[in-house]
Amino acid sequence: MAALGVDFTLPLRDFELTLALDVERTVALVGPSGAGKTSILRVISGLADRARGRVALGDEVWLDTRLRIARRPEERRVGLVFQEYALFPHLSVRGNVAYAGRGRVQELLERFRIAHLADARPADLSGGERQRVALARALARDPAVLLLDEPLAALDAHTKSQVRGELHELLRELALPTLLVTHDYEDAAALANEVGVLVDGTLRQLASPAELVARPRDAFVASFTGANLLHGSALRSGDMTEVRLSTGERLFSTDDAEGEVGVVVYPWDVSVAREHADDSALNVVRGEIGSVVEVANRVRVRIGPVTAEVTSSSAGRLELGRGGVAYATFKATGTRLVPLT
Amino acid sequence: MIKTAALTVLAAASLTNAFPKIDAHEHYSFAGSNALAAQIRQGAPADVFASANTSIPQQLYAAGLVEKPVVFTRNALILVVPRSNPANIHSVYDLQRQGVKLVVAAPGVPVGDYTRVVLHNLGLDDVLSNVVSNETDVRGVLAKVALGEADAGFVYTTDARTVRGRVATVGIRRSAEPIVRYAVAVVKSSAHKPAARAYVRRLLGKPAQKVLRAAGFLPRK
Amino acid sequence: MRRLPAAALVFLASFCALGFLALPVVAIFSRVSPARLVGQLGNPVVTDALLVSIRTTLVAQALVLALGTPAAYVLATRRFHGRSLLVTLVELPLVLPPAVAGIGLLAAFGRVGLLETRIPFTQTAVVLAVSFVASPLYVRAAIAAFEGIDANVVAASRTLGAGPVRTFFRVVLPLARGGLGAGAALAFARGLGEFGATIMFAGSLRGVTQTLPLAVYAEFDVNFDVALAVSALLVVISAALLVTLKWLPSASTSRFRFATSS
Repeated sequence: MAALGVDFTLPLRDFELTLALDVERTVALVGPSGAGKTSILRVISGLADRARGRVALGDEVWLDTRLRIARRPEERRVGLVFQEYALFPHLSVRGNVAYAGRGRVQELLERFRIAHLADARPADLSGGERQRVALARALARDPAVLLLDEPLAALDAHTKSQVRGELHELLRELALPTLLVTHDYEDAAALANEVGVLVDGTLRQLASPAELVARPRDAFVASFTGANLLHGSALRSGDMTEVRLSTGERLFSTDDAEGEVGVVVYPWDVSVAREHADDSALNVVRGEIGSVVEVANRVRVRIGPVTAEVTSSSAGRLELGRGGVAYATFKATGTRLVPLT
Repeated sequence: MIKTAALTVLAAASLTNAFPKIDAHEHYSFAGSNALAAQIRQGAPADVFASANTSIPQQLYAAGLVEKPVVFTRNALILVVPRSNPANIHSVYDLQRQGVKLVVAAPGVPVGDYTRVVLHNLGLDDVLSNVVSNETDVRGVLAKVALGEADAGFVYTTDARTVRGRVATVGIRRSAEPIVRYAVAVVKSSAHKPAARAYVRRLLGKPAQKVLRAAGFLPRK
Repeated sequence: MRRLPAAALVFLASFCALGFLALPVVAIFSRVSPARLVGQLGNPVVTDALLVSIRTTLVAQALVLALGTPAAYVLATRRFHGRSLLVTLVELPLVLPPAVAGIGLLAAFGRVGLLETRIPFTQTAVVLAVSFVASPLYVRAAIAAFEGIDANVVAASRTLGAGPVRTFFRVVLPLARGGLGAGAALAFARGLGEFGATIMFAGSLRGVTQTLPLAVYAEFDVNFDVALAVSALLVVISAALLVTLKWLPSASTSRFRFATSS
């Protein structure tokens, strides 16, 4: 399967978007709204006309500004699934899926479990059903590249987790170069092999989800992947780095850094205690218990400036619900230092 | 001097320039005489009705809608062509030529009836096949010729003078001319009959007649 | 308690407005018996005018649809310098007095006009006059209809392999159908009733350029019954158009509303 190569700049309203990457399997681009994510998909599918650079699928060149090649959207073998699905309201489900006119309609209807809705209109479908129609429609075209715009954003929380799993399976099965954009890091991590963090038009880091968490390149990437981000100033101290937080605490990290830094700690690396354990190997932050939120079978609790994630049983044992003072502890090895952006 | 309320005068289109010169104080409505008569028949509020012929006021009089009509001036017909004379018309007989664009007023409009009388008198009834438009009043005919769109049109001599630079005239044999007499009458439903009658009297008086003569209208008798 | 008079006032105003609008129409049919009306329809003046009106209005309508639709689509979907000026130009005939429109047409197409043509006094002139005054009604409605289409749906069609032309016929037209139909009906009705520009530019000649409205005016002072009959005919045609107008939008909008949002 040929890989999709993109290398272009696109002027947007507030900044210029620059992107260069190769998509072999599934790549997710994450970033805040307005980062230009949808524009990327429009450039690749040929719907945006002010991009300069190159977009090619293997040897098939779709855009090359230097050579003055710019293939029209209908000439590019893309399957684009829009954020709001953009189904044809005047056609039935079958009509939508059959639009690209390439056969396989019945097969796709059955594969996506929408065969029983074949004669229904998009207006009569639920969000999840519409998404399946949109996917089936895009795949009916037999595309060589799949582009998904916020595939899970329009779904309610309950449908979302179910669909996430199904979509992951589907992408694995299809084995097409797939580029999806989303503002939700969890979705990206669940669906893609590689995740790129896009901020203000530039790619800050492109790596596997695990790598992003383990070695975030800067503060933005770190906070985006769900880490705690604290501010402090660092100073080398023996073989470790001592960081004085802006809130006063002193922490240690095994990372090397000097000057103003961002301190990154992932919630699941933080332990919670009711008493201060005098252990010099641990970083400690003392604080009032703020919010306590249950997420699946875990509990996210805010202690001062730090968010910790503990098991429900731990939360119960510590009686976090009644508030009060607690101690968030984490190891120096789990304390990463990143440049502040 | 007692300021009287302005009268509503419905007058033939050919009087558009002359009447306000005679008396600027009144409210005028100029159109084809037959259209104005129809309005009066439908009950339009008016005080005075001045027609380009005598038959229409007579009909209204017979129907009890106006007081006895009085002739106040006369006119004559003339053939006008655009100044550039695109169809090279130099006599009425040239109108017989194929493809000449002739504009006349519709039958029922006084000048339209007069036109057909003239053509009949000259033995030129078939000229009517060259008619490209039956206008609703004489000014419509004049406008089409003055704009250069029509090759020729029949209007009153008084109308031709209002657009002197834009049209050229072609005379009609006096013997073929119909008798064109304008009559005026007080509308019976008028709320200002004394003033209306005074207006009619003024029309017949020396100053008004001078204005009419200056505009090219012919004397009453 | 103070709300009562306000409600009564609104009711009274509505009643007056509706009465005012309905009265002339009702009056037309009450002045002459239906039997005499139908009898007058056999009058050659009426049939001539009907033929002229139908022929010219249909041709004008075809012209307006053929030229107005792509123009409206371009104006609706593209943003370019001078676009708003163009839209204003397109809407201009709407606010122009018909007589002015007539003079404009003469100035443009008259024998001594910009393009010296032999169009005045012909049926073509009627078609042009009717098209001129009716097209803004259609183009405005068409622009609104096209603008109301979700751009993503159109884009989706392109990504699914359909070029611009196929997309226009398979997606844009069906979705704009309601608005286009309503605009076309309005334009047709306006064109059918056109008077001022026609009489200026085309003149009035029975069987050639005398349309139904011109016939009403001509017969008004000659044979009032005929004028009534023609008026009644025009009312019937206009009413039929309006009814069709009511059908089209409700048939399409309710179906497609909310379809694109999830």
